Amino acid sequence: MTVLILTCEEDVTADMVVVHLNATGVPVVRLDPADLTDGVALSGEYVHGGFRGHLSAGGRLVGISGLRSIWVRRPGIPAARAAAPSEWLTEESAQALYGMLRGSDARWMNHPDAARRARHKPWQLRLAQRCGLPVPATIVTTFPQAAREFAERYPDLVVKPVSGAHPQDPPRAVPTSRVAPDADFAAVAFGPTLLQRRVAKRADIRLTVVGETMLAARKAAGAEDEVDVRFAPSTSPWQPADVPPRVAAAVRDYLRAAELAYGAFDFAEDGDGTWWFLECNQSGQFGFVEVETGQPIARSIAEWLARPGPDPRSRANGADTAVS
Amino acid sequence: MQPFALNYARPAATLEATTPYAYDSGMQLNVLRDGRVAARDHALMRELGTTTSTAGSKTHFDD
Repeated sequence: MTVLILTCEEDVTADMVVVHLNATGVPVVRLDPADLTDGVALSGEYVHGGFRGHLSAGGRLVGISGLRSIWVRRPGIPAARAAAPSEWLTEESAQALYGMLRGSDARWMNHPDAARRARHKPWQLRLAQRCGLPVPATIVTTFPQAAREFAERYPDLVVKPVSGAHPQDPPRAVPTSRVAPDADFAAVAFGPTLLQRRVAKRADIRLTVVGETMLAARKAAGAEDEVDVRFAPSTSPWQPADVPPRVAAAVRDYLRAAELAYGAFDFAEDGDGTWWFLECNQSGQFGFVEVETGQPIARSIAEWLARPGPDPRSRANGADTAVS
Repeated sequence: MQPFALNYARPAATLEATTPYAYDSGMQLNVLRDGRVAARDHALMRELGTTTSTAGSKTHFDD
């Protein structure tokens, strides 16, 4: 039984997992949907009440019924590198590839339906609340007056993108940023704005969860103005940390409700040691944590992917979904 | 007419265009010029920043 990895070629973080799979002799097929139909090919037949499908990439051929697991890591846009790319061809290719794979019995990390839902930050905040994780006071609004009133109640605010996406025309980054107390909120009317009470943090926490395995890392906070650790100069290293039992239980509930096999949680640890939930990235990076802490994240992912048998938690948007 | 959040945008940092490794489709891994597997060289990966949470953000926003 084969592990299918959907990711781009330059994804060296995925390599860390492939290395472990190779070491244990687990067959791997790695492909980028962007290479459909030039380098990656597919075929599936629905005849006599059954299905037979195959994928090929890099000279390897794998039957879809022979997949034990599918890791959706950093896949490109289907057919983006085809000889004559188009939105139509992308949609055709996405439907063909993911449609066939959705019909397989393989376990997903993470299922596309669960992944799509889990990307919504407002949904994340509500689910975190329901699971008992502390969530900083937050507003998402297009009403300037609502933003002003929120700022009066919580004068120390940060702003961050609702989606986490960065504008590309021109390419810009939108880090989580402090909002000045006298900010003019008129422009809130021009786009949904997420404002959140700033947590006076003494550390950033990245909790990477692979199945039932939790690996937390802690990075002591720098200057007070340093809000977004991703965009700040690295002054202190990531170090392994213990997960408080109540947080561990809540995170387990979160992932179960979200139907995710993998999640990278960001918390801000305040002066009392409370972990405030910021977000859960369903495909969050882990390589930078592993190379600094030595935590066996890639090995944990490889072990999860290599496990035989169907995963009862992999049914996305199933009847037991707690939040929709 | 600019959304409020974009008042806090900054030019995107670009990763080095060239990396000292290339994808080997036979191995399904990125390989250094001397034949070693890049992912085994944690010091190099830390130096390049290709596994950090902002790497790849242009197309993927799951950091």
